[in-house]
Amino acid sequence: MTTHVRDAITVVHGPQGCTHHNFSLLHATSLDNDRIALPTLVSTGLSETDVVFGGEGALDRTLDLVIARSPGAVFVLSTCIVETIGDDVGMVCGSRSGVPVIMVPTAGFLGGSFQAGVNNALTALAGMAQPAEGNGRVNIIGEKNLEYEIDENFAEVSRLLALLGLFVNIRFVHDLATDNIASLGAARLNVLRDPSLIPVGEYLKERFGTPYIPAYPVGITGPVAFLESVAGACDIDSRRAVDEEQALRRETLDDFADLAGAGISFAPLTPDPEGSRAAQDIAQALRLDITPSGCPVPVPVTPPIGITGVRRLLHRWRRALHA
Amino acid sequence: MPECETPLWPCAMTGAAACLAGFEGISVVIHGSSGCYYYPATLLHAPLHGTFILENEAIFGSGDRLREVIGDLSGRGGRIAVITTCVPSVLGEDIKAMLDGTDVILVDSPGFSGELETGYQAALAVLAPETDPERPGVNIDGVSLSDPFYEGNVREVSRLLHRAGVPVGTVFCRDWSEMAGHAAPLTMGTNDDFASGVGKYLGGTLGIPALRATFQNLATVREGADADPVLAELDLQEERVIHACDKFLRRYDPPGAAIFAGTAYALFAADTLKRYLDAEILLVGTRNDPPLSAAPYTVEKVTGLEQVARKIAERSPDLIIGSSFERSLGGDRAFVGIIPPLRGRVRLAQPPLAGTGGTLHFVENVLNSCMDKKT
Repeated sequence: MTTHVRDAITVVHGPQGCTHHNFSLLHATSLDNDRIALPTLVSTGLSETDVVFGGEGALDRTLDLVIARSPGAVFVLSTCIVETIGDDVGMVCGSRSGVPVIMVPTAGFLGGSFQAGVNNALTALAGMAQPAEGNGRVNIIGEKNLEYEIDENFAEVSRLLALLGLFVNIRFVHDLATDNIASLGAARLNVLRDPSLIPVGEYLKERFGTPYIPAYPVGITGPVAFLESVAGACDIDSRRAVDEEQALRRETLDDFADLAGAGISFAPLTPDPEGSRAAQDIAQALRLDITPSGCPVPVPVTPPIGITGVRRLLHRWRRALHA
Repeated sequence: MPECETPLWPCAMTGAAACLAGFEGISVVIHGSSGCYYYPATLLHAPLHGTFILENEAIFGSGDRLREVIGDLSGRGGRIAVITTCVPSVLGEDIKAMLDGTDVILVDSPGFSGELETGYQAALAVLAPETDPERPGVNIDGVSLSDPFYEGNVREVSRLLHRAGVPVGTVFCRDWSEMAGHAAPLTMGTNDDFASGVGKYLGGTLGIPALRATFQNLATVREGADADPVLAELDLQEERVIHACDKFLRRYDPPGAAIFAGTAYALFAADTLKRYLDAEILLVGTRNDPPLSAAPYTVEKVTGLEQVARKIAERSPDLIIGSSFERSLGGDRAFVGIIPPLRGRVRLAQPPLAGTGGTLHFVENVLNSCMDKKT
């Protein structure tokens, strides 16, 4: 999350390997998404000596270095080992002034799950924004920055919002500048990427009074429900948008009508029950026969978003059936 | 270890996993958090196990969890190896005592103890490989699962040994685990950054001059080895390389190259570019510790992304050799990848860098990449 604030620097307080692991993963994902810009991650490079005698000095030195470059903000991420040795990361960060130095509690397994790290980062970043005058737009909250289809999913949600005459305010946090965060509280609605972000949605609601939609529209039935929920939250008439979306849904089912009656099975079994439900809904809508002896078709780990996501999934099912 | 901007090389724990997971019959357990498990699992593409310790284990001790995982793996045949990560390493638990009475290999290789090669060597030291004077063949050395060319290297050097009428001994480290204790007395290198030190070293296989010397050496020390077919192949293939490079030089200037890699691959790339293309080697930046002298090249350790970016901006090379990190920084410059990670491209084949095939693969990629940028 923090590396998606373009003019900020992220410091990982721990051994170099921890930073490399994260950078390597972010690099791989960026290339998958045709993003050439590499994130700036600075390691405090904890050595064996620091582990024995404490790593606060190493963090202090690193903060000197990065603050000298006048970034928009510095985010300090803790790791398992600094939590174990008891470094007071908050104290070191709090002693700085001028450039905002924000500690994000992400102490590996001592800081909780991956999702806890995401939520902590979003909450810490939201703390940089103040209540602002409304601009009638919609924030996208907590996109999965490691997701292969992140931009396609965003485009699909933007398309649905546009059907209601709504436009995106900021993607919080995806490829934005520190200054953009100030407008976080100006939106009329927040759309969360998925329900695991509800604690963040609640925090933003409490802080800025912004209502939220708990998730992107999933599968074949999700888009219409999404349009109705967004319209309800924004007090907009959704009938025309819903008609257009239902027409698109019919058109999509017609395009894949040749698959009707084929026997399929889901492999590998998805760990995400929502994804499994979405796959079953799609199969039923196309009158496919779900049977253990059916042709194995892929089910994505995260469910398809909107009709566009469903179309892409159906192309993969058709490929599997014709293989 | 000083602070470092965006470190580009994996830690010692990953190196230990790269060594041990290369042996069939060893179940490797990463004793640490899920985060520490996830990275080597994605880099090495090998089955690894993890203890996935949580806050409770950090506070009350990780022994029960470790014993639970080892218990689950016991009885499946083969040995179990445990690699400790940063947190278990500093918790002060006597893991060795916890494992008393079990046939478990323990490698203390926390991330803060060093880089990839440090961990690889630490794991090898614990395995304590030995030679068997009765074992025929020649060992293939310097194989690490972290190296995107390791499979191609093993296949290519095996092929060359077969042509010389010599069987393959133990492959360090990609073999059955019991083979580590019965290595052949002779060894041939691939990537010397991961040299095992086992057996009498005949020489490396990176580049045609090295191959020629190594196989001549083999014919001298091993009765029955026939290096002639290999030497004939080297002459023939080198002629093809010279012809292709000469043709390139008829139309284009030699490239100015910046090379970023582990020492062994970096020097192979520099020698090859110099020998066949008269390239100007602007910089050799090594991820690991460079040799004291690597004349005629200027070699320095370059381990951070910003350092690489600065070097590229200062030297302005036409050609960059490195990883996909360097490719991302290189803009429109010609690029050839020789070290991990090589992301953002579909890679299905397993080409070598060692052996005759390795030189052919490297030179053809350099020429095609340079020509693509010139036209």
